[in-house]
Amino acid sequence: MRKLLLAVLLLALLFGCNSGQRGTAPSGPGTRIVSLAPNLTEIVFAVGAGDKLVGRTSYCDYPAEAKAVAEVGDTLHPSLERIIALKPQVVLVSTASQLEVFTQQLQNQNIAVVVSDPHDLEGIFRSIQQIGELTGQQTQAENLVAKLRERTNAVEQAVKGKQPVRVFCQVSAEPLITAGRDAFVTDLMRRAGVTSVTADVPGAWPKYSNESALAAKPEAIILPTGGSMGSYNTEVTEALRQSPAVLQGRVYKINDDYLTRPGPRAIDGLEAMARALHPDAFK
Amino acid sequence: MNRITLRKTIISCALLAGALLLAIISMSLLGSEPLPVRESLCALGSLGTNACGLTSDQFDILFQIRLPRILLAAAVGGSLATAGAGYQALLRNPLAEPYLLGISNGAAVGTMIALVFFGRSEWIRPVLAFTGALAATLAVYRLARGRAGATPERLILAGVIVTTFLSSVIVFVTTLMDATRIRSFTFWLLGDLSGTSRTLLPVAITIVIVGAVVLTLHARSLNLLMLGERDAFDLGVEVGRVRIVVFLVASLLVGSSVAASGSVGYVGLVVPHLARLSLGSDNRISIPAAALGGALFVIVADTIARTIIAPRELPVGAITALIGAPLFIYLLKRA
Amino acid sequence: MLEARNLTVAYDHRVAVADLTLSLNAGEITAIIGPNGAGKSTLLRTLNGQIPKSSGVIMLDGQPLERLSRRSISRRIAVVAQEAELRFPVTVLEFVLGGRFAWATNSGWGWETEHDLQVADEVLRETELSELSARLMNELSGGERQRALMARALATEAPILLLDEPTANLDLSHQATLLNLVRKRCDERQSAALVVTHDINLAAQFADNIILMKQGRAVHSGTPEEVLKAEILQEVFEVRVVVDAHPVTGGPRVTPLINHG
Repeated sequence: MRKLLLAVLLLALLFGCNSGQRGTAPSGPGTRIVSLAPNLTEIVFAVGAGDKLVGRTSYCDYPAEAKAVAEVGDTLHPSLERIIALKPQVVLVSTASQLEVFTQQLQNQNIAVVVSDPHDLEGIFRSIQQIGELTGQQTQAENLVAKLRERTNAVEQAVKGKQPVRVFCQVSAEPLITAGRDAFVTDLMRRAGVTSVTADVPGAWPKYSNESALAAKPEAIILPTGGSMGSYNTEVTEALRQSPAVLQGRVYKINDDYLTRPGPRAIDGLEAMARALHPDAFK
Repeated sequence: MNRITLRKTIISCALLAGALLLAIISMSLLGSEPLPVRESLCALGSLGTNACGLTSDQFDILFQIRLPRILLAAAVGGSLATAGAGYQALLRNPLAEPYLLGISNGAAVGTMIALVFFGRSEWIRPVLAFTGALAATLAVYRLARGRAGATPERLILAGVIVTTFLSSVIVFVTTLMDATRIRSFTFWLLGDLSGTSRTLLPVAITIVIVGAVVLTLHARSLNLLMLGERDAFDLGVEVGRVRIVVFLVASLLVGSSVAASGSVGYVGLVVPHLARLSLGSDNRISIPAAALGGALFVIVADTIARTIIAPRELPVGAITALIGAPLFIYLLKRA
Repeated sequence: MLEARNLTVAYDHRVAVADLTLSLNAGEITAIIGPNGAGKSTLLRTLNGQIPKSSGVIMLDGQPLERLSRRSISRRIAVVAQEAELRFPVTVLEFVLGGRFAWATNSGWGWETEHDLQVADEVLRETELSELSARLMNELSGGERQRALMARALATEAPILLLDEPTANLDLSHQATLLNLVRKRCDERQSAALVVTHDINLAAQFADNIILMKQGRAVHSGTPEEVLKAEILQEVFEVRVVVDAHPVTGGPRVTPLINHG
């Protein structure tokens, strides 16, 4: 029966994944914040509100200062008691659908829940602005967004006119998981002068057919790895061993935290991808 | 129902083997990427020695991706159905099933430990999966054995206890993992054949053939064991030895299939039951029939899993559970 | 044929059978009677090799029992217990053919020989089950099922029959049918039978020898006339009884006196 539940969850993961921001807005800027996603923690620190963060998940490991903040569980299993005990005004979450009851209980305690789950670069910028407002750090947030936009524009200018490279982004080899239509990394790839061969596949992180991957003949492969994933996902899946990408040695490992956490460091990911795939544009 | 004879057994198994071969060939023609039928059949007919005009990519899709996956599906299905038939006869319970008894979970915990602590070594995976399956088997057997022997209710209850306990262990181990890895793990836990490993495929095929043959060679003992351990002993069955053989072989079968594909549920329940329903309870025919039928069932289920939302994929376990769970409820009601 | 000397069986920290000696001889039926918990069934299971003995000797056809393989014991000793577990559908014929297992040259994936089928046919006729041979076991009545159990034991062609309360669930006429089958085997094939029973009067009628057990010991043994005496039974069962001669057979007849002080 657990299996069926998981299957339903999985279908939700495949077809669902709603985007955008919702939840209840608190009155006035928050001074005590709990973040339940590593990308949101990164944004809180990036807008200069790190001192207001009183709780984080076990996955929130960046920046280093974040590790000094109290842990409240992981993204899917946060401890309600721990959160309430921290007396936050705002809890930032990235996965609304799975935490409905949880959200309800927090709201009963007069704790505002803000959902932020960006699916593209613009969404990340909006997230930054929103968290800036929530924490009373509007100016810093605006400055940050401006800076990030500038870097984004620079990359886009540099790769302009370049022949787009057909890329396969391998998030996991076994099973084969890739970045789909709703993953923000798909938007990053487009901006980096890259055509993701799975850009139109529904969902954010779909399990993908090995034979379709082989048939797509990617010219390059991106392996998000080396960050939180450690030494996992460092090798190309067997089906792609004979792909043009592998034969020409165009396999690029990029820190997975840049590509799977829709936060400020996504721009690092954008730059890393553009430099890897269009090296001549950055001479 | 007429008495099972050698003739009837051979005819039934030959028919099933024919259907299996047909399924292997026809399901090789289906997938997320279309392949030309005539050329593919020609290449399959030549056993891969002749490309028959297929492009090299098409040839690779057929022989490097689809066929190995279909063969693994066959090995996994055959293993789980054979193990199910073995457990059912030995535990005298038509509802005994590797997944429902928690034995698949035992193998899953073993595999997870191998993945988390031994990383890339592909050999340690089936070994620990087998160990986990065996430990879970013994735990269920111990728990289920009351003064009055193992009643079906007690056995299912013991299975629930072992399953939920091991599920908690699995949840605990996943919390030690990175969030991104959990996602791939969720697929694997549901039973997934896409990561067909070159190393494990020959192992899984060898184990299913050896396992099915060994269990079939104990069929007459199992026929008597189905009617009670004491009666079987009285009639000349070396109960202790047969029990050890069946536990070891069934655990090996479950271990190898879980190491290769995660826990695909309900195959071990549905297939042996259908075999008995159509061919009778005699294990001399129902075990080999379950082995062939299980292979057939999982090949078809996996073909659905990999084509229904192509180029995305579903885990095969979702399909087998979708078919198996309602049937399980039906069997419970009938029992 | 089967002999036990100074047999002691202890398990679960309890002595179930103590220093017991008995011998089963060709053509004879031996009955074991005694109060509940006297160790009757344990004795039977020990003689069959299922429960290990603690000390003493069990000899089967002149060989120590523990040196014989399971199959060779089963070719010589058949057991009739009370009920079979029937969770899988099997036909009466399949069930009875189970008795041929110990004789199979291929006990793994072998098939029944012509001789096996012949034997099954014969015992089905003897137990009046021929017409039911294609029926499923769980469709039979209690009496028919008990006969099928008997048929399976006879199908082993074992010269020694051990019966554990074979008549417990049967009505009078079926009790007689069953015991007549045992008698017939003993007379025609010089078989030996050991019957554990609660029914003293039935034992008096069919048994050649009676062993009276209490607390694991054989307190008395001999012919029905020697064992079934009022003072002996009163001492063992702790209830007052009257023993007189049966009006038809002339053997001893035991009647417990309840509420007669």
